[in-house]
Amino acid sequence: MGKGSGIMPDKNYEILALTMRYWFIGLIIFVIIRIVLETMGAKKGQNYRDEGPFGHIIFFMVVFLTSAFALLAYKGSGVYDIYTAILGLVVGTSLILQYNLFRLIFPDSDRLLLIVVDLLAIFGFIMLYRFSPELGMNQIKHFAYGNLGMLFFILFTKRIRVGRKLAYTIMVIGCILLLLPIILGKEVYGAKNWVSIMGFSFQPSEFVKIILVFVFASWFKYDGGFRDHLPAFIFAVISVMLVVLQRDLGAALLYFYIFLFVYYIATSDWLITTLALGAAALGSVISYRLFSHVRIRIEAWKNPWRDIENKGYQIAHSLIAISSGGLIGTGLGLGSPQVVPAFKTDFIFATLCEEFGIITGLCIIGLYAIIVLRGVTIAIRSQDPYWSLLAFGATVALSMQAFTIIGGVIKMIPLTGVTMPFVSFGGSSMVSSLALIGVLEGVAITVPSLDGDTEEQTHETDEEGDYEE
Amino acid sequence: MKSLRHNLKKGLVVLLGAFILLAAYYCYVLFFYGDRWFANSYNPRVRLDAWEPKVIPGDIKDRKGQVLASTVKENRRNPETNTKQVFYYRSYSGGKQRARSSAHVVGYNDPQFGRSGVEALQIRYLLGYNNPFYERIYQKIFMTREVGNTLYLTIDADLQQYADDILGKHKGSVVVMDYQTGEVLAMVSHPTFNPNKLGEDIAGDALVSRATEGLYAPGSIFKIIVAASALENLENVLEETFDCRGTTEIGTQNISCYGGEAHGQVDLAQAMALSCNGDFARLGVEVGRAKLLKTGEAFGFNQDFIFPDLKLVASRLPLKPGVSKEKLALTSIGQGDVQVTPLHMAMVASAVANRGIMMEPKLVYQVVGRNGKVQKALESRVYRKSMSEEVSQTIHDMMKDVVSEGTGKAAAIKGKQVAGKTGTAEIVDEDSGTRNNAWFIGFVSDSKSKVAIALVLEDMPSGQTGGKAAAPLAGKILKKAVDLGY
Repeated sequence: MGKGSGIMPDKNYEILALTMRYWFIGLIIFVIIRIVLETMGAKKGQNYRDEGPFGHIIFFMVVFLTSAFALLAYKGSGVYDIYTAILGLVVGTSLILQYNLFRLIFPDSDRLLLIVVDLLAIFGFIMLYRFSPELGMNQIKHFAYGNLGMLFFILFTKRIRVGRKLAYTIMVIGCILLLLPIILGKEVYGAKNWVSIMGFSFQPSEFVKIILVFVFASWFKYDGGFRDHLPAFIFAVISVMLVVLQRDLGAALLYFYIFLFVYYIATSDWLITTLALGAAALGSVISYRLFSHVRIRIEAWKNPWRDIENKGYQIAHSLIAISSGGLIGTGLGLGSPQVVPAFKTDFIFATLCEEFGIITGLCIIGLYAIIVLRGVTIAIRSQDPYWSLLAFGATVALSMQAFTIIGGVIKMIPLTGVTMPFVSFGGSSMVSSLALIGVLEGVAITVPSLDGDTEEQTHETDEEGDYEE
Repeated sequence: MKSLRHNLKKGLVVLLGAFILLAAYYCYVLFFYGDRWFANSYNPRVRLDAWEPKVIPGDIKDRKGQVLASTVKENRRNPETNTKQVFYYRSYSGGKQRARSSAHVVGYNDPQFGRSGVEALQIRYLLGYNNPFYERIYQKIFMTREVGNTLYLTIDADLQQYADDILGKHKGSVVVMDYQTGEVLAMVSHPTFNPNKLGEDIAGDALVSRATEGLYAPGSIFKIIVAASALENLENVLEETFDCRGTTEIGTQNISCYGGEAHGQVDLAQAMALSCNGDFARLGVEVGRAKLLKTGEAFGFNQDFIFPDLKLVASRLPLKPGVSKEKLALTSIGQGDVQVTPLHMAMVASAVANRGIMMEPKLVYQVVGRNGKVQKALESRVYRKSMSEEVSQTIHDMMKDVVSEGTGKAAAIKGKQVAGKTGTAEIVDEDSGTRNNAWFIGFVSDSKSKVAIALVLEDMPSGQTGGKAAAPLAGKILKKAVDLGY
């Protein structure tokens, strides 16, 4: 490791980066405050169409992105990599384009939600490009694919109401997806949750989250009792077991959260909810006893400092990184992210905190909280159990994933390896997270107007017909 | 679907609550532990690079400006490039003995052995991470190498060296502090090591800073806490007397006084002066587990000490609900599972001297920047209120009696009234039989001198009690402190 960071940054670069911290933190705080104010200021019953305009928010985000890339383009001692600066401009322009196209095509969508997601993705682009231009480029590509995924799921959610028949089909697809890595998977970080097909590798457990959200929404929209719900229970149990077999505890935990929240919200059934919690508790105790890696995680969480060189290594270095930046960070490019293990994926939050500061970390937590707020609002607005549950499920999937990883990285809860939605490096994570946003936006545009009671009436008559599906 | 809507709102509250908790925890840990994490010796960002240091660490000086540690450069052959190059290393100055005497406090910073002590915990200042923006830019533009800040410690190097002398070959520790401000004037741990020669053979536990990390059974000095608890919680405890017959039965536990001596009819003050185990065991049981624990916590037991200036291991007072009478009796005389650090005991003595108010221990006197500007000055802070002023006054008087006519006579110094308490914790060792930890904690009871002391000698042969072995040494050190004007 030697000096901690591979290449010593040039002095001129250091001065520039140190100075630009203030510009960055100013932009970040400004954008966050605007987003929070817009969320707070939304009038009850207001249509998303009438919100905004948000053009200036996206503009300042793009200013942040391009100036960060402009800084990264400077290699010190007079060398300026013009390609990087142009890339920043191109990506920035594309984001403005994406936002405006979105606004034109789906005027009833929740555009602020898209802005939050874009901002998170921007943080990811900057950090990953700073690690290595190749990583950054790949992440930008992932984001582009993700946008297609989002578009697909907006249309899918709007057009197709998943009934039982279709739900059975996607359940089968889900099981097949989860079986793939067990049969022909490869091992990464002790978990066997990747598949590589025709040179294209992905993580099926990420996509099964979407399937779970649809299955639960289509099943729990009526309170049909235990026997009626049984197939969904079985699917939930099977999928959790399959990811546990892949040693992907993070995914197992997320599936469990999605089930727990959606089921309780739909049915208010304390009995099953408590049973599920009990089963999860029992499962954790058993896995604690059975698997040494689970025990190591718990020990590392309780006291990472006792064995910094082995068990506590990840968390200790994550905490050291977070505390090394101070309030506004060391400056972009001046931290030592290479010291933190898995800095591209699970621990990207720690490296972001180091280079952009504690305040930025807090802002990022706030951005996820806004996703929660906007997502659940979409669920409440939609007034139809199916769409409500769909939107709520998607919100739970995204927010609990963010909570799990940030909580793990700051040692609030034991670390479980999941990616940080929209920020961490990874195609599967990016595409599936944007797909969940697609689900949310799909629900948002399906219920454009908000005339409370009459809507409720019509939907309730709908439900009878729907049951026959 | 009213209920769904209602449930969704509940879901919103739970999810948002999770994120609020996350944000709150994030702010809380970074505020309290952030600096500690940064100062961790495994943080490679602040590792001293001998050949190409980006920042040259600043000096560490004592409160009078005597240099304790500095960065020295020397031309050496770099084995990697095989050329002569400037080599930077930390040097601990003032002669071998001075360097050894303050080795645990100052610590070391070495590319190979890592960092410890002040060198680790205050690395932020030593490397100038606290410098304002313009200073950092100035240094980057105009200086070939950036420089850190100078750190002045509250330690008095002369007193430190004297205390080290007095401890001599004994294993143990001394802490001298100003009870009004919490400044640590001297903090010695024995055995010690030479920080300039880390590569040499260092005896087993010499690197352990006993003053802050060594957990000892307190023995009778714990009676101060029991007395405070009794005075706060029991009525007429000062008037009551106890008939000491040498051995007192509490449940199935026989509590005997030192040497089986029967003290006869004693009141609380006499019991303190003679260190009567029977009376204090009885008192502890009478006060009860919960109240004794509460007083203990007010004195800082079982607390995660998070002080900005130094790391202090938590002292243990394991009084869980359902603890037996026998255990409670043993605990009350400082045996059993009670464990304390010398620095914490110096804080306890300070709390008595300082009218019941325990100050936060301070080690950083000031931080001075490149151009002589004081960037951070000592700011005393109250740690907690350990007892009421009346109780502290009563105990203060009792501790005077300990030195003037009780077990601590040897600590008396000419011209000044000393108050204190002796302690002898018996450690039964299978190989060497019973060994003693000899304690003395106390302070100068005088409006001019504000010094408190805690001294422990470990692994003493039986017969070497706190009063015999520890008290005279503590008296000498207190005398020196008074002579130096503290």
